[in-house]
Amino acid sequence: MKKLTLQYFAVLREQAGCSEEQLETAAATPAELYEQVRARHGFTLPQSMLRVAVNEEFRDWSWPLQANDRVVFIPPVAGG
Amino acid sequence: MRPFAFTTAPIDTAAGRAALSDRACGGYATFEGWVRDHNEGREVQRLEYEAYAALAEREGERIVAEAIARFGVQHAACVHRIGDLGLGEMAVWVGVSSAHRAEAFAACRYIIDEVKHRVPIWKKEHYLDGDSGWVNCERCAQGADHDGHATHEHEHEPDHAHPHTEAGHGHSAASTGYAGVRPTVPDFARQMALPEVGAAGQQRLRAGSVLVIGAGGLGVPVLQYLVAAGVGRIGIADGDVVEASNLHRQPLYAPGDIGRSKAAVAAARLRELNPEATIETHAERAVAGNLAGWLGRYDLVVDCSDNFATKFLVNDAAVSLGKPAVFASVYQYEGQLQVYLPRDDWPCLRCLWPEAPRDGLVGNCAEAGVLGPVPAALGAMQAMQALKILLGLPVDNSPALHVFDLLGMHWRTLRASRNPACDHAPRELQPAAIDPAVLELEYPTLDAARASGLTLVDIREGWERAMDDPQRRIDWHLPLSAFMQGATALPADGRYLIVCAHGVRSLALAGHLRSLGYPQVYSLIGGLAAFEDSWQQT
Repeated sequence: MKKLTLQYFAVLREQAGCSEEQLETAAATPAELYEQVRARHGFTLPQSMLRVAVNEEFRDWSWPLQANDRVVFIPPVAGG
Repeated sequence: MRPFAFTTAPIDTAAGRAALSDRACGGYATFEGWVRDHNEGREVQRLEYEAYAALAEREGERIVAEAIARFGVQHAACVHRIGDLGLGEMAVWVGVSSAHRAEAFAACRYIIDEVKHRVPIWKKEHYLDGDSGWVNCERCAQGADHDGHATHEHEHEPDHAHPHTEAGHGHSAASTGYAGVRPTVPDFARQMALPEVGAAGQQRLRAGSVLVIGAGGLGVPVLQYLVAAGVGRIGIADGDVVEASNLHRQPLYAPGDIGRSKAAVAAARLRELNPEATIETHAERAVAGNLAGWLGRYDLVVDCSDNFATKFLVNDAAVSLGKPAVFASVYQYEGQLQVYLPRDDWPCLRCLWPEAPRDGLVGNCAEAGVLGPVPAALGAMQAMQALKILLGLPVDNSPALHVFDLLGMHWRTLRASRNPACDHAPRELQPAAIDPAVLELEYPTLDAARASGLTLVDIREGWERAMDDPQRRIDWHLPLSAFMQGATALPADGRYLIVCAHGVRSLALAGHLRSLGYPQVYSLIGGLAAFEDSWQQT
């Protein structure tokens, strides 16, 4: 288990009810982590519509997560 | 006498001298410009002068006012001849009277130099060999070089006024407090004081051109700040009309503008802001067929659209033409900002979002809500990025998506790089774009829709239904989120009317289902909100 900081944007923030949270998780990759929090918060967006950034860099969904990483899930937005 | 005038008759120097005479003056300096018999090695027989009078007189008066304020002289005036002139005739006269000679000489020199540089006057030389040719004023020549245009015809259209003229001088009637002349263009001294801008940067802005896609919440501040900064030519692409629901976040417009073309209203307001900027309107929605043609004529594009289809279209046009593009989008209190530069190491929008999102499925301002300063802040940042590109300043340390949360006041810079899987090539956004007119149906009541034999499907989320009037209950509830997870299977042979709150998501889903092979799927136009009135009555 490792401790991570998660940040949500746009519709994910609304559905999670918070913009940031800390989590103890066994998830090895962002893909596993998203499945976990999706189940917990009832996120409606599939992973394929999102991007993930780890420590302020966009990464693959299979990027290996480390303890104390900051993980940001963001959907594209189009309002103007 | 007027400080600056044109005349078709020979210049009356005696009248000029009399008008400037003053017992408080100890010196009177004049300059006369004559038609000479050669230019650049060719023998000249006669000259023809032509001016864009309305603009030229204003500019000329400004120059004389500047000279008076700058050198503290008593009186100054300039007369320029237009029409046909023979050899030896006087083309221009400048007179200055002053307490002392030094100021008189300096102001006289200043006026003739500035007039030659700034006032739009064209000179046609008729050569001894029968040939003739137009010779630009210095400033027109700069403009022609930049635009690649060889002719001046465009200069005669009111919309194509000369760019403003402060660059390179660093002073103006406004900043020197000369009481006789009201400034008619912005004074750029405050931004020219920045070492990164200066006179050279101001000239770059004046020579620059920007296409702005969308004149809404983002586009309004982008347009205002680019025009105010002195960008020479701006294109506004927007096919919408002003609506009452726009005004809270698009304060360029007023209630009296409702129903009028956004592009036309914005252009009129922006011309008031800087009369010497060229404002061009493209009052139609950007589509694949028109966008590349527009963008080819501008240095860069700023995407202020409110939908994914347009954003990806702008991306594709910018990539294929090798033009920088500044993107922003907002969602409630959040904004995303990204710049595309035509460089091999720079990611495009598709590098970041390989799966181009479908409009209506993620949320827009109409359904998600927005507070005006959020797009305003993002638009101001887009304007900043655009000015940096025009000024040749570094846009960003490295490519990034900047994500702003204006509710929590966080700014995250997420570093992005070129996606090796992205070929930077345009792709079809949607398998087959289906005309909304085919998909959307209108009914007076839900019962009328049911009576037509359609199966109603409510795709709102559970929380939306829970907040709603039970009378509007539609039995079949399949939330959009379930569709998007792939968890919902509709029998393909049914006839369905998809219903949501405002008809945006239902239209998107109906289009999506059609592309998946559902032949009889429709969207309720306007969503349940369309029944708001009739509901309240019953």
